Amino acid sequence: MYAKLVFRNAKRSVKDYLVYIVTMTICVALFYAFLSVSSSYYNPDIGSEYDFTLLSDGMKVAICMITLLLLFLIRFVNHYMFLRKQKEFALQSIMGMEQKTIGRIFFAETLIMGMLSIFTGIFLGVFCSQFITATLLTAYGKPYEISWTLFPDTVLLTVVFFVAGFFVVGIFNTRTIQKTKIIDMLSAEKENEPELKKSRFISIAAVFFELFTVWGLITGIQKAWFYYDPRFALPVKLMFWGNILFPLFALLWPVFCMIRKKKREYLLIGLLICSVLNAFTAANVAALKNKYYLPLGSGTLKQYLLFVLMDLLFFICALIYLISGLIVVWKEKSPEHRYPEEALFFFGQITSKLNTTSKTMAIICITLVLAIFMFVAAPVLTGWSLGYLDIRSMYDVQVSSRYNDVYEEENLPQDSYEIITDFLTEHKIDTDYDCTFSLYLPEKNDFHNRQKYDFPIVAISLSDYNTIREMLGYEQISLGEDEFTTQWKAIATDKERDSFLKEHTSIMTDAGELTLSGQSYYEDAIGETAYNSYTDILYVFPDSVCEKLLPVIKNRYITTAENISYENARELEKLFTEEYPEQAESGVMYGIRFSTLQTNSTIANNFILQAAMLYGAVVLMIICLTVLSLQQLLDAGQYKYRFSVLRKLGVEEKHIGKLILQQLSVWFGLPIIAAIMVAAVIITYFIQIISAEISAYIGFGALMLQIGATMGILVILLICYFLSTWIIFRRSVNS
Amino acid sequence: MNTILKLEHIQKYYGSEGNITKAIKDISFSVEAGEFLGIMGASGSGKTTLLNCISTIDTVSAGHIFLEGTDITEIKQKSLARFRRENLGFVFQDFNLLDTLTISENIALALAINNVPAGSVEPRVLDMAGKLNINDILNKYPYQVSGGQKQRCACARAMINNPKLLLADEPTGALDSHSSQMLLSTIQSINEQLRATILMVTHDAFTASYASRILFLKDGEIFMELRKGDDGRSAFFDKILNVLTMIGGGQSHVC
Repeated sequence: MYAKLVFRNAKRSVKDYLVYIVTMTICVALFYAFLSVSSSYYNPDIGSEYDFTLLSDGMKVAICMITLLLLFLIRFVNHYMFLRKQKEFALQSIMGMEQKTIGRIFFAETLIMGMLSIFTGIFLGVFCSQFITATLLTAYGKPYEISWTLFPDTVLLTVVFFVAGFFVVGIFNTRTIQKTKIIDMLSAEKENEPELKKSRFISIAAVFFELFTVWGLITGIQKAWFYYDPRFALPVKLMFWGNILFPLFALLWPVFCMIRKKKREYLLIGLLICSVLNAFTAANVAALKNKYYLPLGSGTLKQYLLFVLMDLLFFICALIYLISGLIVVWKEKSPEHRYPEEALFFFGQITSKLNTTSKTMAIICITLVLAIFMFVAAPVLTGWSLGYLDIRSMYDVQVSSRYNDVYEEENLPQDSYEIITDFLTEHKIDTDYDCTFSLYLPEKNDFHNRQKYDFPIVAISLSDYNTIREMLGYEQISLGEDEFTTQWKAIATDKERDSFLKEHTSIMTDAGELTLSGQSYYEDAIGETAYNSYTDILYVFPDSVCEKLLPVIKNRYITTAENISYENARELEKLFTEEYPEQAESGVMYGIRFSTLQTNSTIANNFILQAAMLYGAVVLMIICLTVLSLQQLLDAGQYKYRFSVLRKLGVEEKHIGKLILQQLSVWFGLPIIAAIMVAAVIITYFIQIISAEISAYIGFGALMLQIGATMGILVILLICYFLSTWIIFRRSVNS
Repeated sequence: MNTILKLEHIQKYYGSEGNITKAIKDISFSVEAGEFLGIMGASGSGKTTLLNCISTIDTVSAGHIFLEGTDITEIKQKSLARFRRENLGFVFQDFNLLDTLTISENIALALAINNVPAGSVEPRVLDMAGKLNINDILNKYPYQVSGGQKQRCACARAMINNPKLLLADEPTGALDSHSSQMLLSTIQSINEQLRATILMVTHDAFTASYASRILFLKDGEIFMELRKGDDGRSAFFDKILNVLTMIGGGQSHVC
């Protein structure tokens, strides 16, 4: 009998909770698709030079962590269903069913719906995983072929994960049902709006904001005390003062409001403005530090980043809270605003809902900001690291050394790394190019100069430079006697380069003075180990000059005729590190890089990072949209009554349809527009800080494309949820 | 006196072939302008169905209803809402106020929906509130006032557009006896001072005694008609009770 009840309820619930099932199905599909990569049966042809285990283990952890977020969603939707079914539970209790049994029936019912989503989700996930495989193979630069496989271990993991989630939430629900009194469940629907009271969360948010402001003020005073210098440029001075005055203002404003007995709204408007100003000056700390080389440590930057985040969080909370107040003010301003047709009704709907749910709205908005940021940041970070990979792994084998901790000249590296030659011969790996070369200090006196910002620029001999250029397929260059030229890293800006070359038309070396050649600079990428630490420039000197200089770094670059396999690379790496450790006793730091290993680990890490961030972003967006949608549908009963009153008053169906559309537009639009605004500010700030890296490794075109794609996905998800909510809402209001 | 509402052989059936319930069998009557008509009857007698048909919320199966000469059974579905808001006023048992709006906004909404110029909305609300003595609660929300006050607000909302006919469905159904009495006095004053034509459905004899004429329905037909005439309210109340006993006796006769 109970089983029959469970099935009948579940069948009926399918229609009611369509949004929930759709959401769960999407989540399961994404979960399965991303996780299928980590299956032990998954064996895409990525070539012998790559190893796959690193990627799959990382993926498993990342995906499961993010999916824990879904537990929140399952809990929320279950609670929504509990509220909808309260009256039914009460009737069952009155008829004599034990509350424990009712809880179990409810749980069984949700489990059936959950299982339905799991199986549909896995089915869809098989399709999605094709997409993931295609992306993965593209990342490794391999052709893609469709293969339809169901991975048993991934299926098992998916089912276990979600069923466990349902169980955890189910236990909570059963307990809630057991604890709720019958009379409360019975009269739940009749309850008058308990709502119109304003929630207290904004007071708590304001207190937290003030606490952080106190911290900000103390930090501001401390930094000014220790670092302020009257010779600073005006923007830096403004930043220092702003970081003291704005927090001070934010602290004094509540006192002022209390003395003058101003309304809470006045207090909040003041604090809202303060949060914007605070965020602005705090954000400028990082930007100005980079521009003016301020002596502020990374700890300070992190601290200010925290302040910026706190200010923005408070900004979102206060903005959402104040919007209903602003609507009321606008409405009260003139009868023309209040009385055109059903405007009064519309304002009433919006303000009453906003007043009672401003906390949820603020949380949704913050989550959306996070999701949008993750969407945009994922390709920036991975593009950065992939672009960097091109520069780091230009040679199949790359040996480098550093003299940063060497204090005696006789300890400088002199070896030509024969161990590699032996290994390659032994394994019959032919080399196309092999270049062992030294980097020289123009002036011997600079050997002991180890200050980070004043590290000496090193020089390479013309013949070695030309060999490297030949290896990489660039044209050879030539130099006149007593001439020099420069080679630049991609990250250096044109401005830096021009001003450097202007000031250095001639340089002094231990072999006499050299003048700058007609072709004063080259920018072709040659790998970053060809430069000294902390420098972006490499001098190119004639061979005769270099012979008289002090060699401080010894490198070796090799390109092989065919790819070195993953196993061989690992073996050689081990042998090399045994003989040339990363930190040798002499103080020399040796390093060996294989394009095979680097490409493998970079691609794997990038793929995990990108997949995890995109998956996380989509999951967060789906959670936000589901919560927004269910919040409206949850109140459909109340709305049905309100719209029926309108109908009785003689409002046409067309107008009612318009009102519903307007109401849903505001409900979905408000948090999304607020989130896009805040996210735009954060992303602009983020781009501004790493603009050099973006232009060097990613390109702004690609970045804009990514931002466009993000917006596209957001819009598609939004349309799906908006339409389904609209259809269900209209149906429940009109029924 | 001119007739404002005229019903001709109204019939209303529910259900499909083979299982037809006749909610209204054959009802004809007319209402004069300024009259306060009560309709009484036991549950299932068809009084709410009748009210729904007059208020155009439901359609008739046969017959015609004329409001000031317009046959409302012929009005197209599209124009019904407009017809309702321009010609009819409603008072419901459960008030039907919007909890998101204040009392004054609830009243103003009826004007706004009717596209009354924004500038004249508030003076008219204040004027009506003065007549119904709800001035001091205008800025409160429905959940902050008593049931009687809510119903007076509903009356104000129903009357604000000067409807040709005010339809009241069990207006005292959710009120205690004191509030009922106050509300009925208000409705009576609306009838007498504002010259409103009122059609009130009730099953409570005390409430009905405020009407000037009462139609008793039984099983979808008019069972009897009672006029107050020159009788006092208590005499009229006794007459109503007698009729009710008679209707009840009909039932006991079966047993």
